[in-house]
Amino acid sequence: MSQDEKFEFESVQDCRTIQKYLQALQEGFEQGRIVLSADGSEICLNPAGYMKFQVAVKKKGAENKLSLKVVWKDKSDQTLESGTISITT
Amino acid sequence: MLKNFEGLDENFRFLILEVQNQIKATIEFLLAPTPSTYDKIISKDDYIDNLKNVIENKCFTTLNQTKLGPEQMKYLRAVHVISINLERIGDYCVNIAKQMGYLSSARFLENFDYRESFLKIHQTVSDILPALQKANLSGALAICRMEDELDAMYKENFDKIMIHLRIGRNVEDHITSLFIIRYLERIGDSLLNIGEALLFVIIGERIKIQQFQALQRNLTKSGLQGEVTDVDFQGIWGSRSGCRIARVEEKKSLQARDSIFKEGNLRKIRQEKINLECWNEIFPGLVPRVFSYQEEGENASLLTEFLAGCTLDEAIFNPDEEILKNALFIFEQTLQHIWEQTLNRFALPTSMMRQVGDRMSSILQVHPELMRPSMAMNALPIPSASELIKGCMDIEARYPAPFSVFTHGDFNINNVIYNHQTQKVYFIDLHRSQHADYVQDISVFLVSNFRLPAFDPLSRGRITQTIGSFYSFAKSFALAHDDPGFDIRLGLGVARSLYTSTRFELNRTFAHEMYNRGLFLMERLTEKSPEELDFFSFPLEILNY
Repeated sequence: MSQDEKFEFESVQDCRTIQKYLQALQEGFEQGRIVLSADGSEICLNPAGYMKFQVAVKKKGAENKLSLKVVWKDKSDQTLESGTISITT
Repeated sequence: MLKNFEGLDENFRFLILEVQNQIKATIEFLLAPTPSTYDKIISKDDYIDNLKNVIENKCFTTLNQTKLGPEQMKYLRAVHVISINLERIGDYCVNIAKQMGYLSSARFLENFDYRESFLKIHQTVSDILPALQKANLSGALAICRMEDELDAMYKENFDKIMIHLRIGRNVEDHITSLFIIRYLERIGDSLLNIGEALLFVIIGERIKIQQFQALQRNLTKSGLQGEVTDVDFQGIWGSRSGCRIARVEEKKSLQARDSIFKEGNLRKIRQEKINLECWNEIFPGLVPRVFSYQEEGENASLLTEFLAGCTLDEAIFNPDEEILKNALFIFEQTLQHIWEQTLNRFALPTSMMRQVGDRMSSILQVHPELMRPSMAMNALPIPSASELIKGCMDIEARYPAPFSVFTHGDFNINNVIYNHQTQKVYFIDLHRSQHADYVQDISVFLVSNFRLPAFDPLSRGRITQTIGSFYSFAKSFALAHDDPGFDIRLGLGVARSLYTSTRFELNRTFAHEMYNRGLFLMERLTEKSPEELDFFSFPLEILNY
């Protein structure tokens, strides 16, 4: 059984710096390849085909939450791996 | 006093008697070992253990079912601690008896003087009940001091055994004898615990014997007439620096005055005393007066003036908003005065970022995850925490402080006292005071506000108001005193304090908040070119939670 590969990044940003991360992802979707690395290990995603795309927003008083979620399955003869990207602000 | 507690008093008396019997039986066994004495010791051990359990059960049941006054509560706590230690003494007796089986001859032990130790232990155990019933301070102190006597006897026998072991004479018998004598020394440790439990009942606070003796010396030196029991010793506040702090109130003296007693690490207490004197010379009345100071081995103790008032964080949460406004105004005026009076116009390097490295192991011990590795999202690199710290150290080297002032050194909000009646502020906890960058104090103060454990909108609003007011004041001072790198150094200092304070924060979510905000500041500082950095403006919103 293949092990789950995970990448997690939590930080505080402002509107200007958030754009850099969205831009990096946008370029990844454009090229069909998103590489996420942490401490020498890499996860390579190849977004292609149809994907489930979810936008969820929650507003409670002064608290705001915007979640973007992209889910897809890799098309491969050997594997049925799936890719998920979830963005929460 | 405990007679009403389902016979607890009776059980306690029996426990003392049985432990006395056990000590007596053990010395008899050592002098003339017989199987019947051995069996007696072993079977008595179960009885002692049962008695201890009965007492423990009754203590907890009483706590659960009876509404106790503070005095009764203390009495009960002491009885519990004493019982546990008495039972342990009983166990040591059993262990001693068991060790006898390993000696080639029971007479071998006659080479050592152990009888006196046993006699003293027996006598000390019989002194426990009178000391407890009469709240006899000298009795409690004598029980505490027995540990020293038993230690000295142990050392004498230990040295003797070592001489024989060095030349390899009767190695097995000497090692067994050492074990036996070592148990006597451990009985001394238990007697000390018992003595300190008695001090707790008599004085009303948990206090160790050396702290008590230090308090006694300090009070005598500072002119207390009468006994130490004439003071109320209360409100011991734990301290991260490992010092013990208590408020001492004189009850009987005509010139009764309150004081603060501190005991702990010699270097810290000594430095605090030096700094208090220094502050008092420059700004009389701003910090507590030193009443007396004592050094004893690796520890020192200090008796200082007790300053009436509330800590500044208490002023934040006071429902009367005027109190906070007043407090902040006076606080800022006082600081302005201190900074201007002590300002020394020589540039000096700072080492705020180095502190992050120095404290990293403590941070990671509490939160192992708070060390971001090097990461990337496609071509976008995400700097690691180490890279950010290194980058900030480079910036810090390029922006020394343009002047120094006499700083507080541990400028947490709760180290500032405000007295609404006298309209004055005072500083406490000054062992780190020195001539340094005022931004060090500012960043610690701001982050100590941010860290206050209040999350309701009203309290948070007050905290943000305090942070805003203080930043504006500090920034104006920087502008008026030609400090163009103020915001940069403040960014470094606040990032440092946010990161390092996580080691005191067990709330994981809030610790992550502080850490992420610290890294945010470091990222904003390090992403700038040297030219851009000159225009860096401290993002105050980062301290708005």
